[in-house]
Amino acid sequence: MMAWERARGRSAKWFLAPALALLAVFVVWPLVRAGVWSFTNADLLSPERARGVGLDNYTGLWADGRFRRAFLNTWMFALLVVPAQTVLAFFMALWVNRPEPAWRVLRGVFFLPVVVAMPVLAVLWTLLYQPAQGGEMGPVNAALGVFGVPPQAWLRDPALALPAIAFMSVWQGVGLQMMVFLAGLQSVPKELIEAARIDGAGAWQRVWHVVVPSMRNTIIFVVTVTMILAFRIFVQPYLMTRGGPGNSTLSLIQSVYEMTFVTQDLGRACAAAMAFLVLVGGLTWAQRRWMKEERE
Amino acid sequence: MKRAEATGGRSASKLAAYGTWVVSAIVAVVFLGPLLWMVAASLREEASIFGGGWLRADGWTLENYAEAWRRAGLGRALVNSALQVLVIAGGGLMINAMAAYAFARLEFRGREAVFAGVVILIVLPVEVLAVPMFFTARDLGLTGGYGAAMAGLTVPFLAKAFNIYFLRQHFLSVPRALEEAAVIDGAGTWRLFWNVALPSMKPALATVVVLDLLAHWGDFLWPLMIATREETRTVQLSLANLFTQPPVQWGDILACAVMATLPVMLFFRWFQRYVVATDARAGIK
Repeated sequence: MMAWERARGRSAKWFLAPALALLAVFVVWPLVRAGVWSFTNADLLSPERARGVGLDNYTGLWADGRFRRAFLNTWMFALLVVPAQTVLAFFMALWVNRPEPAWRVLRGVFFLPVVVAMPVLAVLWTLLYQPAQGGEMGPVNAALGVFGVPPQAWLRDPALALPAIAFMSVWQGVGLQMMVFLAGLQSVPKELIEAARIDGAGAWQRVWHVVVPSMRNTIIFVVTVTMILAFRIFVQPYLMTRGGPGNSTLSLIQSVYEMTFVTQDLGRACAAAMAFLVLVGGLTWAQRRWMKEERE
Repeated sequence: MKRAEATGGRSASKLAAYGTWVVSAIVAVVFLGPLLWMVAASLREEASIFGGGWLRADGWTLENYAEAWRRAGLGRALVNSALQVLVIAGGGLMINAMAAYAFARLEFRGREAVFAGVVILIVLPVEVLAVPMFFTARDLGLTGGYGAAMAGLTVPFLAKAFNIYFLRQHFLSVPRALEEAAVIDGAGTWRLFWNVALPSMKPALATVVVLDLLAHWGDFLWPLMIATREETRTVQLSLANLFTQPPVQWGDILACAVMATLPVMLFFRWFQRYVVATDARAGIK
């Protein structure tokens, strides 16, 4: 630590004041308030006049059929998206990890949907998934028709709506995870792969026994981040299906949003948000632990 | 690993190279197809979007764009969105870089503890905070009229824990010798920060700006709660409105979707060169 850094310490408060004040007002304070409200019967219009109700909001959450459905849907969505997106991103990264400039273009193509705003993509895929109607059908049905697949109702079919949204979400997000894997791939020692090749390991064996183990931290990172992003799903079902048909795509965030603005039960909405925070926080904590083990 | 050389023999390797190209082309179509369809369909007459006949010369039109512009109030919405992301990215950059500099270079009591507190905030998803944040914004008068709503869209997102963390790492890697030379010349703390440290980490600054712009251009939940009046709508809200309000015109919706995408694409194309290969954490919004 240099002398001038100590001498300048007095001006630190002016450098920190704007950021810390904003974080305190717009992040910490709302969080504390949500924590307090989650134990009260606060409602949307006059949260100040709330009375304490103990753990009622938390126990009530699970009894609330709509919330339970949203909770299960969100888990289901994560289970559909996370393995598919991780595995696909991994192999796409291997596929485009070549030096020739042409592969840069392909990398750009895979990354393109990441750059487009989610509401735009949600609207676009609603049109792509259009069911067949009087001789007309959406491009997805038309394309599958080429291979003899009969037209489906996709977003209007309770059994297909969530998987259809999951497919679209993987398509949108896989480019980002591919980039993360690509960065991780650069740190796999080339000599190790070369040595395995000389020892007669096939392409598949080299990936499984050399690349995967040396990318353990990257894989853990991608899985947990994808999982957290999956839990935060909201825009796609909100715009594409409004949570339907028959609540089959109702997301956690949408249920919290509705608790706040539709049923105006602020206390319960805050309890739901806190439960969500515990879920995401737990995942982040688990990620840290696993990754640390590797470093030691 | 799947390089063509791995397989022996010239003709075999040529075949493998063709195979690689074919697979690549098919996958590229899957990723590019929907976006190309969006652009092409936005130029089709309403009745022929889902019908066939795309290969014929007729049925192409720019009418959808004129209609979308008028019905969705796109001019106003684009200005609002641009204002929103520029204020967040620009103002946020200043505020976060200042804090990051203090954490990296200025010594004060409790620095490590305060920094640890900021790092914890990184994992908080906006969605968890949206509801209580809405009340804070309301209490501070950041809802309602145009100015208030625009402030409500931006001010809560100026300070960002991840950006502070990210920029601090980059300030730490700026050579101290640069600043020491300026100290000998009698430079004050502000000049060390503004004239010496900041200019030497432009790629990191560009990265933070791009991430902020991409993330907030697509904002939906927060504007949905804050920008409730027609004149305060952002592009995404205009699109959603066109999408849900009858009469539903596919052509208008598609034209609006293209218009909501073009600015960010152009920006990304232009800004890409300034961006460093961001560290992996950048994946978290």
